Amino acid sequence: MDGFIELGRFLFEQLLNWKFYIVGAYPKGPLGGLALNIILAVITIFIGFFIAVLFGLGRTSARKYIHYPCSAYIDTVRSTPLLMILFWFYFLLPVAGFRLPVLWSAVVALSVYASAYMAEIVRAGFLAVPKGQMEAALSSGMSRLQALMNIILPQAFRMMIPSFVSFFNSHFKNTSVVYIVGIVELINSGIIISQRQPNRIFAVYIFMGLLFWIVCYTLSYFSRKLEKKLGILDYESYKPEIYREDLVLVPLPKAVKRLMVTQK
Amino acid sequence: MIKFAGVSKYFNNGARVLKDISLDINAGEVVVVCGPSGAGKSTLLKTINKLEHIDSGEIIVDGFSLQDSKTNLTMLRAEIGMVFQHFNLYPHKTAIQNIMLAPMKVKKLGKKEAREKAMSLLGRVGLSNKCDVFPSQLSGGEQQRVAIARSLAMEPKIMLFDEPTSSLDPELTSEVLDVMVSLAQSGMTMVVVTHEIGFACNVADRIVFMDNGEIVETGTPPDIFVNPQQERTREFMSRILHIPINNTPVEG
Repeated sequence: MDGFIELGRFLFEQLLNWKFYIVGAYPKGPLGGLALNIILAVITIFIGFFIAVLFGLGRTSARKYIHYPCSAYIDTVRSTPLLMILFWFYFLLPVAGFRLPVLWSAVVALSVYASAYMAEIVRAGFLAVPKGQMEAALSSGMSRLQALMNIILPQAFRMMIPSFVSFFNSHFKNTSVVYIVGIVELINSGIIISQRQPNRIFAVYIFMGLLFWIVCYTLSYFSRKLEKKLGILDYESYKPEIYREDLVLVPLPKAVKRLMVTQK
Repeated sequence: MIKFAGVSKYFNNGARVLKDISLDINAGEVVVVCGPSGAGKSTLLKTINKLEHIDSGEIIVDGFSLQDSKTNLTMLRAEIGMVFQHFNLYPHKTAIQNIMLAPMKVKKLGKKEAREKAMSLLGRVGLSNKCDVFPSQLSGGEQQRVAIARSLAMEPKIMLFDEPTSSLDPELTSEVLDVMVSLAQSGMTMVVVTHEIGFACNVADRIVFMDNGEIVETGTPPDIFVNPQQERTREFMSRILHIPINNTPVEG
């Protein structure tokens, strides 16, 4: 019991360091802490989004010279750890002659990483729009680009929003990786504090966790509200042309029961 | 108006969807295409505005060859209206926006002009009171009428109907058919894939019976329904009319 009270006191004590956790050394030094995580996440999601639309749509192209490069980019990035991508841009770009400030190499790495994942979200959303929509638009004389801009993408983006929000959530947490190249974001702020107060290291890490939790939880709370609000699209009227009962999801107990019957 | 000359199409696995189709459709003619499912009716219809590519042969629409790379495809498509089995209305736009979109984007009509035109078209299909309603709030028959109005907004010379009533309840079917009948009477060139025998008998100038990707028989409605020459046609007709066809005459 005493231990818990002690821990509570230590955590409360960390509130005194709030400024360093939230903005780092900001007014006197560079911006850091939680604010830097949020800014990094927002900027890289924004840059990544535009790359993602290009590559995601490119991957759906029937033209092989567009399809294959886009697929290669997406799959390469997706099968590489974020840390690896960060090191590439941190160590390799200077070798290649680009002298980027450390923060910018982190921005580039995070954007590249985000773009590949979001490209897959874009692709999935694009493919989820019924094929008949494109046919209807084309048959009325619109060009492929006009159909894409006016008909397909507005519907696709609405379906992508929940996936984007959940990706933003995990991407925000991923930004903490940049501490490894010496950027003072939240994790690094915590490390610096724990070096000054070595006997409070436990409280410091719990406090950092709490900060991440508050931001992420708020975000997912609002995303759930947003999803309800956006649920105005109604695909009831689009009956699938081929209806196969075995492709429809059934509740797990029922599925197991069915499996048992077919086994006999 | 529409001319098929030896048109063939293959699927990737080598199966033939269309086998050496040759057909002439004149201006103002109403042609009904019928046949069992998988016969290639919808595919045939979609080749007319090049939603489906063909592998050999040639299709000439309104004097322009679809296989000629110089043909302006979007211009040609604007002259061909199409109505789908599943309506394919844009779910994020209201009924009137659905109708206004193509004239504004393709014909560069002003918003006010497009709106007036859309209103008069909605009146024509009997839905003036539903202009600001989203497709999901409309019944199937109403959706299909909006879809017809949407195609008419481009003032097409040809209208294609791909099983326009197959996904509708029998009661709702008639309201869509009424619109189609009045359209046919106004002299529109129409190609209709349908199994509505009543519509075919009353309105069609010609019936094309297809099976296995080829045209088995063409003729006037009485020819095809009452007096089919081919065994396959006779079999199919007796099945959809639920009567042995040679014994009972059908009004047509």
